Amino acid sequence: MTVIETEPPVAATGDLSGEAYRVAMRRWLRANLPASFRSDSAAFSPPTLPQSIAWEAAMYRAGLAGIIWPQAYGGHGRTLREHLIANQEIGALAMPESVNSIGKELAGPIILAVGTEEQKRRFLPAILEMRDIWCQGFSEPEAGSDLAGLRTRATRSGDIWRINGQKIWTSGAYRAQRCLVLARTGPLEDRHRGLAMFAVRLDAKGVRVRPIKSIDGRESFCEVFFDDVEVLQSDALGAPDEGWAAAIRVLEIERATNRMYRAWRFENELRHLIAACKSDPVLAQLVAERHYEVRLGEVVVDIEVLKAHVETAVDALVNGDRIGARGSLAKLHWSEAHQRFAALTLELLAQASLPLQPAVQVARRRFEAIYLQARAETIYAGTTEIQLGIIADRILQLSKGK
Amino acid sequence: MTLTGEGLQPSEFAVTAARAVADCADLSLREQARHLANDGLLGVIAAHDVGGLDLPLALAVPVVAAAGAGLLGFPLMEALLLGRALQESLPRTAEAVVSGEMLATIAWQGSVSAAREGDSVVLNGWVARAACTREADCLLVRIGTSGAALVSTNSNGIVVEDAAGLDLAVPEHAVRMEGVTIPAANILPENTWSVLCSDANVLRAAAILGSAETCLTLAQEHASTRRQFGRALSYNQAIRHALARQKLGLEGIRHAITRSVGDEAGALQRDAAFLAAGVYGSAISEGALQIHGGMGFTWDVPVHRHLRRVRALQAQGDASGVLAALGRRYVGAIAPASDVTASR
Ligand SMILES: Cc1cc2nc3c(=O)[nH]c(=O)nc-3n(C[C@H](O)[C@H](O)[C@H](O)COP(=O)(O)OP(=O)(O)OC[C@H]3O[C@@H](n4cnc5c(N)ncnc54)[C@H](O)[C@@H]3O)c2cc1C
Repeated sequence: MTVIETEPPVAATGDLSGEAYRVAMRRWLRANLPASFRSDSAAFSPPTLPQSIAWEAAMYRAGLAGIIWPQAYGGHGRTLREHLIANQEIGALAMPESVNSIGKELAGPIILAVGTEEQKRRFLPAILEMRDIWCQGFSEPEAGSDLAGLRTRATRSGDIWRINGQKIWTSGAYRAQRCLVLARTGPLEDRHRGLAMFAVRLDAKGVRVRPIKSIDGRESFCEVFFDDVEVLQSDALGAPDEGWAAAIRVLEIERATNRMYRAWRFENELRHLIAACKSDPVLAQLVAERHYEVRLGEVVVDIEVLKAHVETAVDALVNGDRIGARGSLAKLHWSEAHQRFAALTLELLAQASLPLQPAVQVARRRFEAIYLQARAETIYAGTTEIQLGIIADRILQLSKGK
Repeated sequence: MTLTGEGLQPSEFAVTAARAVADCADLSLREQARHLANDGLLGVIAAHDVGGLDLPLALAVPVVAAAGAGLLGFPLMEALLLGRALQESLPRTAEAVVSGEMLATIAWQGSVSAAREGDSVVLNGWVARAACTREADCLLVRIGTSGAALVSTNSNGIVVEDAAGLDLAVPEHAVRMEGVTIPAANILPENTWSVLCSDANVLRAAAILGSAETCLTLAQEHASTRRQFGRALSYNQAIRHALARQKLGLEGIRHAITRSVGDEAGALQRDAAFLAAGVYGSAISEGALQIHGGMGFTWDVPVHRHLRRVRALQAQGDASGVLAALGRRYVGAIAPASDVTASR
């Protein structure tokens, strides 16, 4: 196992709150994040899987994962406000995405909501300690936006479930230990009734994972085939027939709170872009012209509005308000604003002077990757059209009738 | 209900303000001033000493939003801001503004030169975008690049041009000043002016929020009652998605305002709230007009009144200048990348 040398977490961070907590988290992150992990650094080289695992485990020990989970299950038992603070600090650095965000931000909260006591004790610490990496097996070839049309079937005999079917676009399945599988227990006509969730081991007999090459040249998502895969009842999450309701409930909160660092990472990207431009004589002049002042100003406003969506949603959750479909607003705004920004980075950096300054080279490498990855942001976690539909149906409650 | 005490909730302000705004519909400007003052609405942020409630700006937000929603034809933002801006140096005037006895306004565009002559100051120049100046008793104008001056509108040397601008309910005036003499005590320091401008951006956003919210409600109502092809318009996905985008913009304005009056907010958050309100507010009111079809282009459907106001507020606050300045400050504050680590 790769060892990443990190400082021990600050003594007794448990007692800290507010600004002191922020300062402690910031210090630890800045002292310990390896330069080679930072995509705004000339030393950047994407971490290997073992390196990512070691880093994320260290982050957890420093108090930067499982922040709001109960201590009984390995969490830090903190408030959502502290989760926000930690995410602001995480976002402020050009850090790689988590390889286990599905575990930490989707499977974990679902298990907390519907899992048995035994499941919580078994699954949750393993997620935080990075012993179990999870992936999300929801989408299927015939069930994308229309998730309720999924066909993967789970049939029960005694204490054993058998799963047959196929998932697709399963991010990170090739590196995961567990897959959160949404499968059908009733007839197809039942649509979203008769869906159940399972924690399926990917090394189980009958599971086959085939990576799919994506537009950035990486093999990041996969097809996952289930051929008579046996799953113990103890790995079924929540009651059968409650799968959909549980999924929706959790997804509501998740959409509003997951990857909460996005706004601050977006800001980190903007700052990096400007810093890189200012190191190049031509670009330095361009960003001082009114045209680009205005264009960059628009990005700043987009980021401020995104922060406003996130922070007011946190306030609402802390006050015990129902979050409802509100997460769709932040997701929609972020994904589109980020795409606009990504296109602007290409436009600006293409105008750099020759020979390319080292800082411009670093920025180009980072922003070309971001540009391509941003194309997925209006597709995954519910496409733009689906988010607009949710806002129309559930927030505006527009009539669909005749 | 009259707003007098502590511990009031923003929602109570919204309710009181909405009712007062509706009551103002057929009143003259002076009657409106007294009516709004009686309800405590002109002194929300002014000090107790001048008859105000001494509350934070956040509580002026629902008041101004209600005025926007109800298309109030009164320079409410100006009265709110002047009641507080004048409370230190010209407390009597502040009191008169808060009590509705005096009509006060602000010229948001242009500036005048000021020459000191003994205890007086002589002003020369052009200013514009001053709401309801024709009927106002006094006008705050920007001096050069520092400070502001309160001028009585019946002073010699003041010429108020004909009303102009898109907003029908609140006409804007340009004002020429030729050798206008005012007491030196009427000069406000730079800090007072800059706080006033920054707060104005939040209140403009609030006014736009009120207008935008009304437009979206109207569009939504129309979409669910107007039938074409045998169905309500809202059956069509193109309409549903258009309305959903308007809702996204509306909540963006709302949350940006909430954030701009939070404990950690500064100039950036206030400018961002105003700019976001301008962009989303125009899109929402223009989109609402589109959803109304030919009806939307009629004088009687009030959407155009809101559209006019939103565009007028955007120009009044110099949205494009504010945006460029925001970009310039942001770019200026970032150091060039060193080749080791680019962004700290
Ligand atoms: C990078 C990436 C990672 C992903 N990771 C995962 C993962 O880990 N696990 C997982 O389960 N899934 C994952 N997904 C899948 C993702 O959730 C789906 O791609 C998404 O839900 C859309 O489904 P689809 O691809 O079948 O497109 P479709 O549903 O076929 O949609 C195609 C187009 O039609 C539009 N459309 C569909 N229905 C309507 C409608 N009713 N009205 C108007 N327009 C409509 C869509 O918006 C889209 O533009 C990932 C996707 C991407 C791109």
